[in-house]
Amino acid sequence: MKRDPAPPLQLHLALILLSAALIAFQLEQMQLLAIVQWHHFAYLIISVALLGFGAAGTLIAICRTSLLRQVEWLLPVLMFACAISMAMALPLSQEMTSRFDICLLFIEPGQAALLLLSQGIYLLVFFLGALPLGLVFIGLSSRINSLYCANLVGSGIGGLSAVALMYVLLPQQLPALTALLPWAAGILVISRPRRRSLLALAALTLTLIAAVLSHPPHLQPSQYKDISRTMDLPGSNITASQPSPYGLIELVTAPALRYAPGLSLTYVEEVPTVSAAVFNNGDWFGAVDSGEASFLHATISALPYAMGKRDRVLVLQAGTGTDIIQALKNETEGVMAVEPHQKATTIMAGLYGTTDENLLHHPLVQRSSLTPRTWLALHRERYDLITLPTVGSFGGASGLFALQEQYLLTKEAFLELWNHLSPDGMLRVSAWLDSPTRNSLRLAATIAETLEEADVDARRHVAAVRNWNMITFILKRSPLNNSDIEQVRSFCKRLQFDPALLPELQGPERIRYHVPADPRFFNNLDSLFSPSHRQKLYENYAFNLHPVSDNHPFFSQFLHWHSIPHLMQLFGERTLPFLELGYLIVLISFTQITLAAVLLILLPLLRLGLPGRTGLKRWTIPFFSGLGLGYMFFEIMLIHELVLFFGHPIFAAAAGISGLLVFSGLGSLFSGRLRPHRSNHGLAAALVALLLLLYFFILPPLLQMAITLPPLWKTLFFFLLIAPPATAMGIPFPLGLEHLANHSKSQAAWAWGINGCISVVSTGLATIIAVEFGFSAVMLMACAAYGVAALSTTRQFFPT
Amino acid sequence: MATKKRMILPKSYSWQFFPCALRTSLRVIVILFCLVHAADSLPAAWADESSNFAAKRMQMVDEQLKDRGITDLKVLRAMSTVPRHLFVPAYLKQQAYTDGPLPIGHGQTISQPYIVAYMTEILHIQPQHRLLEIGTGSGYQASVLAELSDQVYTMEIIPELADSAGRRLKETGCSSVTVRQGDGYHGWPEAAPFDGIMVTAAAEFIPPPLLQQLKEGGRMIIPVGSPFYVQHLMLVEKTQGKISTRSLMPVRFVPFRRSQ
Repeated sequence: MKRDPAPPLQLHLALILLSAALIAFQLEQMQLLAIVQWHHFAYLIISVALLGFGAAGTLIAICRTSLLRQVEWLLPVLMFACAISMAMALPLSQEMTSRFDICLLFIEPGQAALLLLSQGIYLLVFFLGALPLGLVFIGLSSRINSLYCANLVGSGIGGLSAVALMYVLLPQQLPALTALLPWAAGILVISRPRRRSLLALAALTLTLIAAVLSHPPHLQPSQYKDISRTMDLPGSNITASQPSPYGLIELVTAPALRYAPGLSLTYVEEVPTVSAAVFNNGDWFGAVDSGEASFLHATISALPYAMGKRDRVLVLQAGTGTDIIQALKNETEGVMAVEPHQKATTIMAGLYGTTDENLLHHPLVQRSSLTPRTWLALHRERYDLITLPTVGSFGGASGLFALQEQYLLTKEAFLELWNHLSPDGMLRVSAWLDSPTRNSLRLAATIAETLEEADVDARRHVAAVRNWNMITFILKRSPLNNSDIEQVRSFCKRLQFDPALLPELQGPERIRYHVPADPRFFNNLDSLFSPSHRQKLYENYAFNLHPVSDNHPFFSQFLHWHSIPHLMQLFGERTLPFLELGYLIVLISFTQITLAAVLLILLPLLRLGLPGRTGLKRWTIPFFSGLGLGYMFFEIMLIHELVLFFGHPIFAAAAGISGLLVFSGLGSLFSGRLRPHRSNHGLAAALVALLLLLYFFILPPLLQMAITLPPLWKTLFFFLLIAPPATAMGIPFPLGLEHLANHSKSQAAWAWGINGCISVVSTGLATIIAVEFGFSAVMLMACAAYGVAALSTTRQFFPT
Repeated sequence: MATKKRMILPKSYSWQFFPCALRTSLRVIVILFCLVHAADSLPAAWADESSNFAAKRMQMVDEQLKDRGITDLKVLRAMSTVPRHLFVPAYLKQQAYTDGPLPIGHGQTISQPYIVAYMTEILHIQPQHRLLEIGTGSGYQASVLAELSDQVYTMEIIPELADSAGRRLKETGCSSVTVRQGDGYHGWPEAAPFDGIMVTAAAEFIPPPLLQQLKEGGRMIIPVGSPFYVQHLMLVEKTQGKISTRSLMPVRFVPFRRSQ
């Protein structure tokens, strides 16, 4: 087949700009929607919005000839339309769907319609952006390699620049700024016919973008977000905001703000108001005390200090520094505070001033902005006390954080923490008590199994103390001696707490002051420390209490599928969603998106005819679905592996996505040298499957080995490591598409749509697989998906 | 002839030939008719609506409260008396008696009827008891408490909610409730000590002044949970100066067995 003329450089540039804009817009919306709602809502919107790619493929498949006939003026028009929709999406969604609230989805009629409306707004942006991409790919399919390369490289650049911009601009300013990219892309592809009208349209688009840029919309967070409830207090004010890829940090002052978690009921003094509260994306981050927290000695977290002096203290995820203040008040000799959210630390600087006495500049306090796990992997020092942040939240968060990856609460993390304790050192971790009991029992299970692995009799090393809403565990490196036990008892007596775990503890002593809701609580707690009873409890409890691992780090996900009918009966269908709202939203989103994806694939299929009847290639569905699934599964698994390696999810996502896309772009460019033949793209898919299988075994240990390298070397190492599979992953898609286009261009459009749709479905599917079976299962599924794609091209499986 | 001609004109044209005075009179008649008719039908509609809600309320008491084990007759009477539909936003009026919490704005909810009844029952209220509620919200809980005691004090920190609840309580004839806008941390020292305290806007800690304002032998109840799901109720008791707590589950959580 004759090749299309080489596309001009402007077209490549336009594709780079448009692709960069689409990825950047996606990341920006994820952050924006995490601010106004929760990150699950962002997930729901974005995965539906990505369907725009599938929808564009469908439209091209159906109306390819008429669209391509007018492509010269259609390309700039679509790019300008994409720019307008990008700039207007946030103001429109804030205006039209401001009453939408994810918490009310199961309560108020009409909320589902508002959800669909806001999904529609985002769908339009991606549809308008994907349509010109698709038209170029299909129209110039014989030159797909360089065009696809431009697409991937642009996406990589978009991801990196969005993250960089998040450091300097407020989230609501970013989408309109990003809209300038498709506008510039449109300018680049303006051709002779209708030049004047197109220039007028360009001017109009620019005016609109400028208007939104000069008046960015005001963000209206959900009324159920922590920040909204604080802002309802009289006299409250947002005194500072700092954008960052970690989240939008806001400092709020209010005269009535007090914070004293775990306070004893015997405390009769005044609880002072806090200087300010810090919120990250509208969620509570911590209270800022100006060192006056005089009540700290009367809180349940003071237990380790009541058992003796702690000279060297390690505070992990130090937040706003309450644990640092507590350590300093207890005359510690030095505190190492690890807090990855740097902006949260700097935003408090204004409140503290710069004297040596304050928290940020205290001579006894050292700081690190690495994630705790990375810090632990890099340092070998031992500490007399290690403190972790409190697990869960007071009153629960309706399971909104069910899918949050918590690497500090995995068994591997606890083993690492155990090895960082000095001979008489202690680990302290508290949990909010919930009903039905989940957090505290899983924490106990993690402690018990970790110590068992360390070959230690957990019962001799663990103590726990409880008040009306919190439980504090301590793990002592050496066995608890009589003096320790006596000190725990006297601490409890003085502050009216109850011991929950202690060697030779008597039943009535556990409920002297506080009777728990679940009469089996202590039985369950004891069962977890006995290997034979533990398994029985795991099997019989309505919630999943198994400790989590690095492969499956969802500490707050407890729901068992098989318990749902039982729980529904107990709590009622109106309450059930609030037991684990986060996971439920992902399941709803996945179902919704799967239905939409099937529709988008079936719709053009009906027009093109069923496989086998009209010469439609049988391998199209398995091949392009396999590539879509495999690519996304590997990407998600890679980001997961990189969180520990780079020390933060944002850097992991930026490096993972960009590295993968850029090398895939190079692979795509290389594929231009190969002959578009069924056996070639089949072989390319098989090569990827084999490489991924190899990386399943070598990637985690190699990353672990290089974790101690300096950041620059670490990044270089990662790029070298990822280059072979990522480059190979860029080859099969353009090769297959070119081969298919030689047969029929409409089928190529269809294949592009399938690939887009399946990629979207696979993001939700990967999350569900990771929750149910762990991330390693996601990686194996990625290998399998490429394997299926390779097999689909063999004549034995799919004869022509 | 003229009459005949007018007769064959279409109606719209014939209207133009009506004398001005007649037209005005007709309008007045129509308006008066409407007013009389409306005046006649409105109370009937109100009565219908009212009896409709009363029926729903009785159904709520039977199915949501009695069946779940609320036995205190005074509490059941209070729950069947207070018009819950007047304490929810107008657009949710028809859902007022459903078995769940409803949003009232400002991130707050009106609790599920069962939770309101359960918390009220736990306080063991006597007519002479002095009660304090922290977190007025819609004013519904205070209104229920007022059916059982003549001395109900309620505090709300959000000014808009305090205003609207005060107005609503007045409109529903609930005169024994005193509403104050302010920080619940300090309690209501002038009216202390209290036989019962209900902290519906729970914080991570129990403010020491509230414990001090609780009478010897008094009871404090704190619902713990998120706006749409009360996980458990914390009962705080003061006996001989000693404070103790008991966590109560609104839903009895029975262990699950796979065989089930």
